Amino acid sequence: MKASKRLPRLILILAVLFTALNIILPSSKIQAEEKTYQIATDITFAPFEFQDVNGKFVGIDMDLLDAIAKDQGFKYDIKPLGFNAAVQALESQQVDAVIAGMSITEERQKKFDFSDPYFDSGIIMAVDSDNEDIISYKDLKGEKVAVKTGTEGASFAESIKDKYGFKIVTFDDSANMYEDVRTGNSVAVFDDYPVLAYGIKQGNGLKIVTDKEAGASYGFAVSKSKNTELLDMFNTGLANLKASGEYQKIMDKYLETGSDKAEEDTGFFGLLKDSMPSLLSGLKMTLILTVVSLIIATIVGIIFGLFRIAKNKVLRAIAVIYIDVFRGTPLIVQAFFIYFGIPAALDFRISAVAAGLITLSLNAGAYMAEIVRGGIQSVDKGQMEAARSLGLPYGKAMRKVVLPQAIQLMIPSFINQFVITLKDTSILSIIGINELTQSGKIIIARNLESFQMWLIVGIIYFIVIIILTKVSNVLERRIKHGQA
Amino acid sequence: MAKLKVTNLKKSYGNLEVLKSIDLEVQEKEVVCLIGPSGSGKSTLLRCLNMLEEVTGGDVQVHNYHLTDKKTNINKVRENIGMVFQHFNLFPNLTVLENITLAPVELKKATKEQAKVKALELLERVGLKDKADVKPAKLSGGQKQRVAIARALAMNPDIMLFDEPTSALDPEMVGEVLSVIKQLAQEGMTMVIVTHEMGFAREVADRVIFMDKGYIVEEGTPQEIFGNPQNERTKDFLEKVL
Repeated sequence: MKASKRLPRLILILAVLFTALNIILPSSKIQAEEKTYQIATDITFAPFEFQDVNGKFVGIDMDLLDAIAKDQGFKYDIKPLGFNAAVQALESQQVDAVIAGMSITEERQKKFDFSDPYFDSGIIMAVDSDNEDIISYKDLKGEKVAVKTGTEGASFAESIKDKYGFKIVTFDDSANMYEDVRTGNSVAVFDDYPVLAYGIKQGNGLKIVTDKEAGASYGFAVSKSKNTELLDMFNTGLANLKASGEYQKIMDKYLETGSDKAEEDTGFFGLLKDSMPSLLSGLKMTLILTVVSLIIATIVGIIFGLFRIAKNKVLRAIAVIYIDVFRGTPLIVQAFFIYFGIPAALDFRISAVAAGLITLSLNAGAYMAEIVRGGIQSVDKGQMEAARSLGLPYGKAMRKVVLPQAIQLMIPSFINQFVITLKDTSILSIIGINELTQSGKIIIARNLESFQMWLIVGIIYFIVIIILTKVSNVLERRIKHGQA
Repeated sequence: MAKLKVTNLKKSYGNLEVLKSIDLEVQEKEVVCLIGPSGSGKSTLLRCLNMLEEVTGGDVQVHNYHLTDKKTNINKVRENIGMVFQHFNLFPNLTVLENITLAPVELKKATKEQAKVKALELLERVGLKDKADVKPAKLSGGQKQRVAIARALAMNPDIMLFDEPTSALDPEMVGEVLSVIKQLAQEGMTMVIVTHEMGFAREVADRVIFMDKGYIVEEGTPQEIFGNPQNERTKDFLEKVL
């Protein structure tokens, strides 16, 4: 069959793609002799980790880790993934350790080895600063309470919710949780004391109404029985810092009232000006992800689109399965599967950006395959017949006669897919890729201005998409005119 | 030896039998016209001659190649069989000149330069040299069909198949296309033509074949078929169309 002739070429294309990916993306194989530890963290857990105005990651965890690494002389890279993603990344051994204000619990100790506790936390309840009605747990009856997934506050709320008769609403980061209370959807929030205290100091509009419940201690975690030398260094370093008084200095820097805090201009234009550099670098990542994945998706789409209409039943079946799987599952599930699932199952590592690109490419590729199929099938059958009657083989007839016409028919759908893929990149914030949405999240974690920041982020997406759509339309018209 | 030989050819679409045991021979330089009511299978028969339709049974032989043999390189055989379609099927994304040079250049029959010289020569023959650089959308139906004939001739075929070449044309354009075909006949091209133009068939054909319901019902010289048809169905059909 003709397919057998095309297959080697396909393999070649895939090989080239993989090589290209390896060049573009930091490969896991380049772990040099001097080990650099990959340490995952949360992105929005002030005062333990958050980005300062200059986009640098700071906080108790960050300063502590930095001091310990200096004291013990090891190198590390920080991977701000978000709490859940960080924990999953450690489980699937995408990273060597996690420091994310993580409470030491029995359940977690089954999977991870923890350092000596480096911070004793506690749970506290806060309500909107104007709220005079809720002053104790008893007042929560029939109300909704916001918590953050996987935190101590969440387990505490869970443990008393039946007793006091309230419902729990779960969020993925603190800023959203506080906002939910501010808007009145939830009446109260349970969070770790230092986090809540920091938020209130930043003017999140809440106030603390209860005493601190004794909570668990925070620890630095590695995978069970892995990286023991790292754990030892952390413990020794921590002890040294406590002895030298540097530990206390770090705590004071973030928790002592009246500590110096950068005054930010919280007016719309002030925010715009302050946040623009990080947002623009996020936008750059968004555009890179979109363009690179669309290029790959186009190639993948053409290959599978052709498979889809091939005479060979096996090729058709392969294409149908691929298209159905990627159209039939949510992008977020695909991202998790590719970033956490496959590497954990097959025991290898992949960078978040690589996983994101693969996810987007395969996802958009499935839609592109359908666009290609539709495009080819809407070219008059007589075109293929005329080309074949002249003696042109199937492949040449397809390339020289049918595809050029199909591509013209495909342009509107292609522009549509472009816009969809651009918006879909925002979903990749969930695996910690620092694209536009993630940049917004990070800034909000610091300044808690969710209304204005999401407005700014939304406007940026809107403007970029409008510009790209207009440009595409002009191009489309040009191509059509060249044709006539 | 016959240039083109069809033996016991059968073609079905699912349960629908379109061709039921066709035997046909076409000699060198012979012009054969296929006539008959729509649905009689004449276009299908023509399309089986270069395997645009996969046959269900029987054999098609061109020169010494058995087209039904899986080992035959059908692309090679098609290079020698030109085909002209009812709806022209010009490539709208290419200019007239590119339409004609595409196959010879792609199949390494000629360099770009040679193909261009030859294409302009062919365009001159069909009277369209001035249209070399326009896109097919700018041409009239008759002009399109003449370009399609030039495109088929560019491969230097020794057999030409015409599938109702004038059916999609406005009446005033039929003449210009038929005169090109007539000219080819005079030059000695072997041709099989499916047509509804009885006057044309009478004038150009060496042999006329009347088909109905998947069978060849009657064949003979134009004088025999049009002047003195033997079969009732032939008579019936000719009465209706003449």
